[in-house]
Amino acid sequence: MIINGVEIRDSFAEAFPMVGTRLIITADTAEWALIAGRTTTGFATSVIGCGCEAGIEREIPAEETPDGRPGVAILIFAMDFGSLKKVVPLRLGQCVLTCPTTACYAGVEGGKRVPLAKTIRYFADGHQISKKIGDRRFWRMPVMEGEFVCDDDTGSVEGVGGGNILILARSRGQALAAAEAAAAAMRQVPGVILPFPGGVVRSGSKVGSKYKALFASTNDAYCPTLRGAVPSALPAEVGSVLEIVIDGVSFAAVEQATRIGIEAVCAIGAAGGVVAIDAGNYGGNLGPYHFKLRPIMAAGTAEAAL
Amino acid sequence: MSGIVLRPRAAFSARVDLSGVTPAVLSALSLPEIERLPVPCGGRRPALAELFFVENGPGEGVLLIEGGDARLDHVGAGLAGGEIIVDGPVGAFAGRGMSGGVLRIAGAAGDFLGAELSGGRIEVAGNAGAHAGAATSGSRRGMSGGVLRIHGSAGVRLAERQRGGLIVVAGDADEGLGTDMIAGTVAVAGSIGARAGRGMKRGTVLARSLPALPAGFVDTGTHDLVALRLLARRVADLAGMLDGSGTARRLVGDTLLGGQGEVLVLG
Repeated sequence: MIINGVEIRDSFAEAFPMVGTRLIITADTAEWALIAGRTTTGFATSVIGCGCEAGIEREIPAEETPDGRPGVAILIFAMDFGSLKKVVPLRLGQCVLTCPTTACYAGVEGGKRVPLAKTIRYFADGHQISKKIGDRRFWRMPVMEGEFVCDDDTGSVEGVGGGNILILARSRGQALAAAEAAAAAMRQVPGVILPFPGGVVRSGSKVGSKYKALFASTNDAYCPTLRGAVPSALPAEVGSVLEIVIDGVSFAAVEQATRIGIEAVCAIGAAGGVVAIDAGNYGGNLGPYHFKLRPIMAAGTAEAAL
Repeated sequence: MSGIVLRPRAAFSARVDLSGVTPAVLSALSLPEIERLPVPCGGRRPALAELFFVENGPGEGVLLIEGGDARLDHVGAGLAGGEIIVDGPVGAFAGRGMSGGVLRIAGAAGDFLGAELSGGRIEVAGNAGAHAGAATSGSRRGMSGGVLRIHGSAGVRLAERQRGGLIVVAGDADEGLGTDMIAGTVAVAGSIGARAGRGMKRGTVLARSLPALPAGFVDTGTHDLVALRLLARRVADLAGMLDGSGTARRLVGDTLLGGQGEVLVLG
């Protein structure tokens, strides 16, 4: 399959089940909400080293937030519910509670409950105030700046982590331009985050290493400077490869983001130096979710034709 | 089965206790069985049909009491689901111990309206008597959940020993509002009588003007509270009371008894 001169390789992204939640963070200004969102989702690129994967899903206009102030929605994913219950209160306490003017609300209604203020309310040293109206409880915690308002807990979803595309381009600059375009388009899809810096990964990994202590190591088959020295997946004209990793609240959300990302890359096309789109997988034996590139794009093309 | 309509045959000669006459109970009975239900009335227990015409009515799970009467006590007491509509006044203990469902009263309500309410919703178009949302004699805790909405004014000791839930009063609240209040929220759009909040441990009283408070209340000043903005948007019953600005003067008490309750004077 070739779209606008870009080869869509007959490959698939292999993804895994993750447990995730959404938090709505508001603040007096959109800027401070964004600062809180960025801080809370910082150092959360990969569960391997960070314990969770997190990112800003979208900015929310004031009229749509629980307290009528501008906000952001963030998604946090972990490998299991126990880990999620640990990382969310930790990040809430260190990054949202501390951030001027913020408040934090549940962004998911259903599923197992992830504690928010239920855990961190003790910071208020007995001065915390609970307010439960209907079946929803929130807490007010006196802080030096005023009060921190936070829902008692939030729901969770069983999501999908590790969806990905690889962008093979002629040069580093062209790969980056294509990746930036793809990331910008994919961020518009509801229910997904791109947890790596700017949404883009330059150091995609393979499973295992020659060093016993490491679980993952550089994906040498896609390293252009190793072409010829190792079994390579790169044709001669490829000078740089960038990856975009996608975590989402559902298979459909990740699939949609995959399609939209590839479409954005293909819009740049061969003229922009893009050679091919590929995807990372482990042979299909580890992850239950497979995002097959060609069927996804074929379905997208069929939809566009309708 | 369909709903039930109770229409009084004549003015009641004594107080009538409608405890247990709820949609859930009635839905399990046939019309003749409902008519034979014994109902305490004065010192007797006449059949329901002796006091009311009993008819099938529209609306699954709805009990309609036509006309109402200030001598009808315990209307909706123990209600756990369904809806009771009274298109007139009711007596004391309406909605006492309710845990769910809806009780709508088109007239006024007597004392102990919604006492020990734990869930569901009570709407009263008229005034409420004393001790609305409070604890009854011998009980330590008043209302613990649900919503009590009084569109008129409330009598003395509204929310006494309230433990949770929301009370909204469109009119005034008489003396002793929130006495020994444990938790929960009371919003009063009108004036508040003397000695509000005495013995208050926790909980929130929302007021439009500063009431006369006991000496144990301390003024923390005026603050911009995000919690009020949240309540204005999340709790529809409070939307009319809160303008969304979030500014309120916060008085904390009753500190003489170690309490951390609060009176928030809006605006």
